[in-house]
Amino acid sequence: MRHRRLAALAALPLGSALALSACAVDQAAPGASSGASGGAAGSGTVVIACTPQEEQCQAMAAAFTKATGIKTSYVRLSSGEAVARLGAGKSKPEFDVLYGGPSDGHVAAAKSELIEKYVSPNAAKIPDKYKAADGTWTGTYVGALGFCSNTDVLKKLGVEAPTSWQALLDPKLAKNVAIAHPSTSGTSYTAVWTQMLLNGKDEAKTFDYLKKLHSNVLQYSKSGSAPGQMAGRGEVAVGIVFSHDCVKYQKEGFTMLKNTFPAEGTGYEIGAVSLVKGGPNPANGKKFIDWTLTADHQNIGPTVGSFQIPTNPEAKVTEDMVKLDQVKLVDYSSDEAGAAKKSLTARFDAEIAPQPK
Amino acid sequence: MATLLAPPAGAPESGAALARRPLRSGRDLTLVAIVTTVSLVLFVIVGLPLIRIFAVAFAPEGWEIVTSMLTNPVNRRVLVNTVQLGVIVALIGTAIGFVLAYTQVRVRFRGKRVLHLLALVPIVTPPFALATATISLFGRNGIITNGLLGIQGDVYGLKGLTLVLVISFFPVAYMNFKGMLESLDPSLDEAAANLGASKLRTFLTVTLPMLVPGIAGSVLLLFVESISDLGNPLVLGGDYTVLASRAYIAITGEYSVPAGAAYSLVLLVPALSVFLVQRYWVGKKNVVTVTGKPSGTIDLITAPSLRIPALVISGLVAATVVLLYLTVFVGGFVRILGVNNEFTLRNYQFVLAGIGSDAMFTTTTLALVATPIAGLLGMVIAWLVVRKLKRFAGLMDFVGMLGLAVPGTVIGIGYAIAFNTPWIAGGRQWFPAVAGGSAMLGGAAAIVMVFVARSLPSGQRSGIAALGQISPAIDEASTSLGASSATTFRKVTLPLIRPALLAGLTYAFARSMTTLSPIIFITTPQTKIMTSQILAEVDAGRFGNAFAYCAILIVIVLGVIGLLNLALLHPSLRGIQRRPS
Repeated sequence: MRHRRLAALAALPLGSALALSACAVDQAAPGASSGASGGAAGSGTVVIACTPQEEQCQAMAAAFTKATGIKTSYVRLSSGEAVARLGAGKSKPEFDVLYGGPSDGHVAAAKSELIEKYVSPNAAKIPDKYKAADGTWTGTYVGALGFCSNTDVLKKLGVEAPTSWQALLDPKLAKNVAIAHPSTSGTSYTAVWTQMLLNGKDEAKTFDYLKKLHSNVLQYSKSGSAPGQMAGRGEVAVGIVFSHDCVKYQKEGFTMLKNTFPAEGTGYEIGAVSLVKGGPNPANGKKFIDWTLTADHQNIGPTVGSFQIPTNPEAKVTEDMVKLDQVKLVDYSSDEAGAAKKSLTARFDAEIAPQPK
Repeated sequence: MATLLAPPAGAPESGAALARRPLRSGRDLTLVAIVTTVSLVLFVIVGLPLIRIFAVAFAPEGWEIVTSMLTNPVNRRVLVNTVQLGVIVALIGTAIGFVLAYTQVRVRFRGKRVLHLLALVPIVTPPFALATATISLFGRNGIITNGLLGIQGDVYGLKGLTLVLVISFFPVAYMNFKGMLESLDPSLDEAAANLGASKLRTFLTVTLPMLVPGIAGSVLLLFVESISDLGNPLVLGGDYTVLASRAYIAITGEYSVPAGAAYSLVLLVPALSVFLVQRYWVGKKNVVTVTGKPSGTIDLITAPSLRIPALVISGLVAATVVLLYLTVFVGGFVRILGVNNEFTLRNYQFVLAGIGSDAMFTTTTLALVATPIAGLLGMVIAWLVVRKLKRFAGLMDFVGMLGLAVPGTVIGIGYAIAFNTPWIAGGRQWFPAVAGGSAMLGGAAAIVMVFVARSLPSGQRSGIAALGQISPAIDEASTSLGASSATTFRKVTLPLIRPALLAGLTYAFARSMTTLSPIIFITTPQTKIMTSQILAEVDAGRFGNAFAYCAILIVIVLGVIGLLNLALLHPSLRGIQRRPS
């Protein structure tokens, strides 16, 4: 008798450890019936996989709810994490829309059949070069690659803020340039593909440039925007990042940062939006995509510190944004760039990264 | 490998193997129940997600990477880096943990309590906090390196990683050693002294050999922890790529889950080999020191030959901890520490009144649910492994450790694959969907499960090390007096390993609060988690907010740990072991 009571007491913590799975099994019957409708059921909700900053996601969700009455919730993830998560949850998607992040993420998602074609009626207003030819994704913003320089460090080194890719090779900038690693960051790969385009898609010439640049690079960071922070902290003189990231860091207190663009031409990213295949609320997902392409939505960014350029010509371009007509852009094709990525990054890993500086 | 990763195959057999013993003693069904329960729990929280994710690694794309690990120079470099970093951090961290514990327990000096607290503080290392503080202090433009010394330090790579990881992980070693040193029987030292040995000789020939299991346990734990750490290599790694960051990059930068799974599978090889060495080589060197016989009191060391170096090393480590954590706290009160030192309260306001308060509440609640589960589960596993299981002890020990040995990113994706949908077999739902926004409790259950899986191993290791020191005769005495296994565990074993349990609980809470990488794949709109908010702030360049988040997280964790210590060391609870049973 006594043994049993004590045994039961001892088993108590284990019992509670099991509680989660135990009641789960008990719920088998009702779970199966409610499983079909799910937590996000009904016509009133939409769930977003949101890759921009927290504040922008929050402001956007609030604005969409206000405009349509549809309850909007989101999870903030980086672009790669979002695609990985959509892939993992493929059998029972929990999101309706994949919002933000460079278009190559959406291209990868389309290849794995995680998103489906949806051409919004509002997409007609968006210039063709900012949307997928097959209708799988549509651009909501554009960001141009630039040089984010720390003017204090530049002064110490006696160098002007670089205005060309060639200027980055200045020996005075030895170990004073930062750029992300192209296999880890879309930002950096955009820079590599830009070099390909500037060199007439000649791989040998491109790698010749990258080899020269290598001796000026302090380190290849993992995240695409980190070089901007490194420049802000004075770890390096110049970071190669998207210019809206540079503006963002300026606003956050790195006031010594200066943004310049290469005269030869620069690459850009398209921040896209796409419909998740088999999402729980497809109708609301489509409404959300329609709305992201309007000027109403695209005007939110600058109010919460995001200075990407809107794709809708009716949206306001603020003071802090890069004027695309003042910057020379290369003719960037995401599909072609994406196709070449694997071999180019592998070559970069083998030939450039291990070289001594 | 496949058999090691498949507890379901092992579990029923181990149950059967055990069933023989209970039959002999006639009434130990509780033991069978406990073994079955623990095996099931481990299978669900660790086994299943890993089986699902590693199945992906055997896709052609993943398998190509596994096989090219040694032939491809780039991948070989990554593997070498990983092992190098793991070995360096494990050795230095264990050494520092030992010196601090030894100083604390055996050396006479003032300020023991301060040293103890400072040695515990780094248990709470929110992701990015120490790495960012290190860059602010020792970077090329660092406050100390450039501001005070006028040199251009380069903290990126192995140097910076070693510093940050050693500081992050030495407390695990410290807590293990402190528990062990306190339970060492001083009469052995006295015997050595009576035979004419000097303090140093006693230390080298008596104390040290008895600590071998603890040393091995710490080295193993620190090695595994440091090679699977992700946040620091991402921020401080520079060009120094390790497997954990490579796996993360494959998934997030190259959109290739198979490649990520493959790198993680390779990451298990060094972890597994250290584990096997520990188990089959060091396992034989266990020295029993807690025998249940009366023992004397410890004679504190005053000899300068041991005292001075011990105090100097402890002082240096403590100073580094103070410096780094002070940086985090001060960092919360300025816009960008070292760059824009304008005083502001905005950061704390943002966290306490803004988006942060919600995350703070959710994270703390979920961590508080996970902590007792992880702490007790760790002790039960330790007890089963050391005392009860014979053939399958190694398997259970290993599976328990997997939650830590595998990079969080991979666990997170495994959870998303395994738990987003309910298991339905034969028209019946066996297990509901627990991960994702449409799952029950808004996906909170999966987060608690991940917290348990990630924080269980520390308690398990300290439990195993502590039990190794306790003579089985004590258990046998209890059993022969008629107590069942469960009673013996609760009445005899648990009170004896209370320091290890405390360590397990402390570590479980701290780790749950600071887990980042698996969380990213299972957070939902309903569950905002502090660490992923910190990541978002760092991404956005708002270091002030990030530091404020970290400072508040540290305060919460230290507060809870303080309460835990008070509760577990409270006389009314201590009384358990004295109460006649």
